[in-house]
Amino acid sequence: MTTVGLDITGTGWITTFQDLGRRDSERRGVPTGGAADQHSAAVANVLVGNPRGATLIENLGGEPAFVPDADVLVAVTGGPARVTVGGAPVDSWSPVVVPAGQELRVRGDVGLGARTYLAVNGVLTTETLLGSAAPDARMGFTQSLGSRVCLESGFRGFRRSHFTPPLFRLPVPVLRCPDGPWVIDVVESHGIQAIPGVRELIAESSYVVTGRSNHVGLRLDGPVRHPDSDTEIVSHGVPIGALQIPHADELIVLGRYRSLTAGYPIVGVASRASLPLLGQAGPGRELRFRWVDRETSVRRFARREGELRVLERATADAFGALGFEPSAHLIQH
Amino acid sequence: MATAQFPAVTVEPFGDSAVMVTVPHPDPALRRAAIVAFRERFLADRPHGVLDVVSGLESLLVEFDPLQTAPTHVEYAVRLLARRLPVHEPLRPRTALRFAIPVVFDEETGPDLAAVAEEVGLAPAEVVEAIAQSTFTISLLGAAMAPMMDGLRVPRPVRRRAEPRTDVAPGAIMVAGTNAIIQPFPGPTGWRVVGRTPHTIVDISRPEPVSFGTGDIVRFVPVTRDEAAALDASFLLPTEVPA
Repeated sequence: MTTVGLDITGTGWITTFQDLGRRDSERRGVPTGGAADQHSAAVANVLVGNPRGATLIENLGGEPAFVPDADVLVAVTGGPARVTVGGAPVDSWSPVVVPAGQELRVRGDVGLGARTYLAVNGVLTTETLLGSAAPDARMGFTQSLGSRVCLESGFRGFRRSHFTPPLFRLPVPVLRCPDGPWVIDVVESHGIQAIPGVRELIAESSYVVTGRSNHVGLRLDGPVRHPDSDTEIVSHGVPIGALQIPHADELIVLGRYRSLTAGYPIVGVASRASLPLLGQAGPGRELRFRWVDRETSVRRFARREGELRVLERATADAFGALGFEPSAHLIQH
Repeated sequence: MATAQFPAVTVEPFGDSAVMVTVPHPDPALRRAAIVAFRERFLADRPHGVLDVVSGLESLLVEFDPLQTAPTHVEYAVRLLARRLPVHEPLRPRTALRFAIPVVFDEETGPDLAAVAEEVGLAPAEVVEAIAQSTFTISLLGAAMAPMMDGLRVPRPVRRRAEPRTDVAPGAIMVAGTNAIIQPFPGPTGWRVVGRTPHTIVDISRPEPVSFGTGDIVRFVPVTRDEAAALDASFLLPTEVPA
């Protein structure tokens, strides 16, 4: 292991350390938090030989960039992005070597996907809160990068010429961020019965993400309906992805940094397999909701998990064949 | 009212990876006590695949990994645990710590003190006295690990503010219903602000950002502004550590 410095030469609108979130912290009042798009974050880490939950960099908008002082192995995932090393375009969703002294630059297409993830082989040096590097604004844990980031890495390069074909052809489950409206699967919940007709209304309407959206929740413009009675709902725990109808005429999809309890009607909960796409939805994005049953929802999530495991094995094989043993704890759940 | 048997629970799915547990019973006090007792037992005996829980006032949201377990399995485990649970013998996984928290109660630290006094039909000094005489039990950690406690003894429950305050200082002691809570970080709240402690309640630079947990016992000790300044109060620690 050697210590490598990354000089931060550009940041986006919001650029922070990030990981998959805190474990077992919600029972103590702290939302799990973590990467808004958990799929892209996990894939980025796997592609550089890190455990899925390793600390990486999450970026919203702008143009993050850094120059390492030793060769590093990186991967950029998330929304569609133009990635360059020393000015030359390289692939996203793929392991890429950034030679010492060269600049890696990421320009995301915010209109198509709000966040990019940047993983580097090794362990990024950063503070943690309750065992996780994920920021938590409410607790004053901001996790911005500063001008220089340090990392402990065992990467020694692949000893190959720049003019040979690409090294890797891995089965990468790329998150698709299509151009038109995004379809989000939703499982209905008990609260839907208190609002007659809301199921049909949501199924046939189109919703647009507003600028007041953040990691706490996506606030959507579009038709909603309220319960007939104004019975107070006793404040209760709310899951990530809950479709909440507050007193105002808007629909809120709760994010990973939601307030853990609320007393508003919840008509459904977005399917786990749809959450990564919700994490990419920026202002102006049109969303449509499709009601699915619980079994379908879990099946889709299982399929995605299967793809991730295939990638983990393929990456471990490829790195092994190149004589690079990223870490003994690669496949860790 | 003293039911020997734990009341039946309802378990309702919430999306593809959570269920909501509630205790349907006509008495709200029993509903609340029952869910606290259930939560303790459930966390001490956590079924496979359960990742975390979120406490509501009268409910428990159970979050699980849908690839490791299924709502039916979680529901089965919940019902099994509930059946084994005598309601008046809550399980205490650890010995309760005791806290005596110094609080300045005046117009500046407690802008809602006068309004709360009027609402419950007491003088402001009597409200302070009532808070000081109350023994609180921490029932859960709220947003950002704020200790939410039960046990406020006033003539009637305190209402929340109609219009939430937008920026309440850390250390603010707030009440609503028969509950009290301490604000850990600056932020908004609908609770009624009655005083402020000079102690730091949550310190994120510590590996364990708080020193308290559910079941711990809290008393508030009124102090003057000068006494508070002389305390050199830092991170809140328990006053008595049981042997």
